[in-house]
Amino acid sequence: MQREAWAVLLILLLAGAAAYAHVTTTTEEYSRYNTGWNGTSGFAGEEIRDLRGLDPGAALLILAPDRPFTAEEAGYLRAFLDGGGRVIIADEEGAANGLLADLGSTMRVRPGNLASLDRNHADPGLFLARVVGNDTLFAGVETVRVNRPAAVEGGEPLLETSILTWEDADGDGRITGSETFGKAVVGAREGNLTVLGDPSLFINAMLAENLEFIQNTRAVLLDGTHSRTGTANLILNARLWIQETPPAAAAAAALAVLPVAWHFGRKRDD
Amino acid sequence: MAGAKKYYAAAVLAAWLIIVAFFMVLSRTLDLEVFFVLALIGLLVVAVLIDGAFSRPRYMRYIGYLIAAGVALFAYIVVQKILEILAA
Amino acid sequence: MNPRVSHAILMAAAVLVLVLLGARAADPVLYTAENISTAAHADPATVQKRSPGNAAALVPLMDDLLGETGTLALTIKLKDYESAERDLARYSELSRQFDRLVVTLDVSGTDVGEFQQNNRQNQEALATLLNDTRRFEDLQSLEIEVRGDDEQHMAVVYEGEALRQKMREGFSAYAKRETATTRIAEHYEINATPYQESVEDFAEIADAADDWREEIGTGTKKSPLRIAVTPAEGRYGDTLLIAGTHASGRPGAPVEIYVDSRIAETVALDDGGSYRHPYRIGRVLAGPHLAYATAGPIYSEVAAFAILSGNTSITLALAEVNETTIACTGNLTTDDRPVTLAPVLLRVDDGTLVAAETDKNGTYEKEIALPAGEHTIRAEFHGAGYPLNASESPAETVTVRGEGLSPLPFAAALAALFGTGWYLRRRRNRREESPVVEPARETAEEAAVPPPQVEIAGLPPREAATVLFRTLRARLGIAETKTPRDCARIAPGHAGFFERYELIRYAGETPSEEELRAMEKEALGGDADAA
Repeated sequence: MQREAWAVLLILLLAGAAAYAHVTTTTEEYSRYNTGWNGTSGFAGEEIRDLRGLDPGAALLILAPDRPFTAEEAGYLRAFLDGGGRVIIADEEGAANGLLADLGSTMRVRPGNLASLDRNHADPGLFLARVVGNDTLFAGVETVRVNRPAAVEGGEPLLETSILTWEDADGDGRITGSETFGKAVVGAREGNLTVLGDPSLFINAMLAENLEFIQNTRAVLLDGTHSRTGTANLILNARLWIQETPPAAAAAAALAVLPVAWHFGRKRDD
Repeated sequence: MAGAKKYYAAAVLAAWLIIVAFFMVLSRTLDLEVFFVLALIGLLVVAVLIDGAFSRPRYMRYIGYLIAAGVALFAYIVVQKILEILAA
Repeated sequence: MNPRVSHAILMAAAVLVLVLLGARAADPVLYTAENISTAAHADPATVQKRSPGNAAALVPLMDDLLGETGTLALTIKLKDYESAERDLARYSELSRQFDRLVVTLDVSGTDVGEFQQNNRQNQEALATLLNDTRRFEDLQSLEIEVRGDDEQHMAVVYEGEALRQKMREGFSAYAKRETATTRIAEHYEINATPYQESVEDFAEIADAADDWREEIGTGTKKSPLRIAVTPAEGRYGDTLLIAGTHASGRPGAPVEIYVDSRIAETVALDDGGSYRHPYRIGRVLAGPHLAYATAGPIYSEVAAFAILSGNTSITLALAEVNETTIACTGNLTTDDRPVTLAPVLLRVDDGTLVAAETDKNGTYEKEIALPAGEHTIRAEFHGAGYPLNASESPAETVTVRGEGLSPLPFAAALAALFGTGWYLRRRRNRREESPVVEPARETAEEAAVPPPQVEIAGLPPREAATVLFRTLRARLGIAETKTPRDCARIAPGHAGFFERYELIRYAGETPSEEELRAMEKEALGGDADAA
């Protein structure tokens, strides 16, 4: 009898572990809670939610922004930039172009379908870009493997593709028809503002491909409110909210402790 | 007490199969042939360990047939893979 | 739950699972992570690591090719013919590598393809220039030698004039390509200076020929051997008429007709002193070409004609030959004219290239063996050496069934089944036999052992009984590991003895003197009856 109880307990434990893993992770792109290949759970960056009062010596990464920036927030960022802080925007859909205009920059992200012959994989969008110019972000890095990037216009080029790159308009993976070869810039900077055309550099599957570069981004702060690193999962959001608001944490603790205290504290009528 | 060994054997076999399935999901490759071969190995190991020298309980009487069928299928898979390699 | 019910449910579940698995048995790999991607990115661990070709070598090769033109033209100008031959060989080798790389990387439709065509023409032009310059130098020395002999001198002068015209025409064609080639070089950021210098060197060589003409120019009349090409331009498959007259020629004398310094045909002068040859445009590069004729030592002037490039179209049809082979057929035509004996490339799955050739009707046919599964095949014509533009067919998909089931695995499975069955049966029989064999052996030994001697005087009764038990057991040939109860079972004739001893040994009873004596007798083999 006792043996069967152990077996049942073991199975329940395994099932519980599986359920826990299912509930606390998600499959959303770029999410911090996505442990799969397209999540950013492996990226070591501290998440901040308030753009006010940032330390001027830090670097702030805005990863694949999907929410627009208010004028107030743009103002905080400008103040941060003027104070010497560094802002890195990684975007390949063009959603950051509004913010770039607000910050007074001439750089823009031009989404498209870049393909290159200078690659080691069968997918034409997964190729190597060369590091040009001097930048601490790319110190010790010669080539960066990019994953379906967008081109960046304006600014001083940091990452350039080889000349055998083209904009694959018809999506057939070959250079046909009116498509022509040309170098494309996938990373540029203007003063303290850097724009990278590929947020996929920070997903779990790509962290191992550009080790030196990821090492250089170790101390970067992540903008939690505008980057797409959050989640729409209710349970995770609820847990996060409880962790962040002290009264809620206290209430949850009380909820766990009170029944136990009541059980042991009541008078026994034996 | 009667049949405790039977339950142990079944539990160990089930645990082994769950471990194999877990690793297959982890490596994102679900291959029936690999699973079958590993299951057969588990079955053979368990059958050898619970086999008593002096008695043949009811649950061990027909395991010979199961093992024979498993080995036949294993031989089929091995020869097919060899042919594939030779053809390449 | 009733055990029968649970067993029935288990059986039903097992059968259901086996049926479901059996349905997938033909395709055992249920799932692999391959080419996992979303719109924004692909998972590099699941994408096949296959490079399209040595793309990094493309632009450096173009750079090398332009550099070689500079070196080659310079060595020709300096009349260093040995180095020039070596340079030309190296240039040809580089051009071949470049052609292969362009086809592998599938970039013939871009300006790299245009560069490739220009490069081929440049290569031919420079090779011709080398031969012409060498011959020209010989002629110059020969001309001085034969100054006395009018007839020979005239022949030399005519040939020199032909060579000069060749070099002049060659230069104008070479210079025409300069703009396009330089533009492409700038696009790919390669150094076009050596190439531009080669154009200048070529100009100097042509000018030197003109200067020599000026020197010996006065008094020379035109060559008696005339040549003309009509029409002056054509396309692939057209026939141009190369005809002319020989003023002082005998009927029947042979006239050799050269196209681009290669002999095309030898014809005979007819009665009127004229000759004609229909020249069919086949595998020659597009662009300007030269034709001239020789009758003995007399060279004609050089007639220029142009070959225009034409567009081609290629078709592809796939048919299944058997389970592993696919037949690819198609037609290669240009403006309703078939392109005969031309090389066609079949690109399988964006990787492997299979070569085929069209026959006299412009049809090609090739059988390709493929592994099972879906494949994409595209037919391409690259127009290398033809005055034709490249073309490709639309990609066709085909599913290859793959070989049917071979009997060998089934035979192996049957053999394994029988082998396992035989082995298990043998093991079981051996295990059952051994307990049966032992008792028979023991009873046989019982009679052979001689009666032993034993000393029990002075021992306490229970120990004496033990000694007697051991004696009897040894005498009967029973193994020492057997307990009294086992011995009673094995040797029923002495069952009484053993049972009594069992009580003495384990129940704590003490044998009396009489019992001991009876046991002694039995142990030593005197009495066969129970004590």
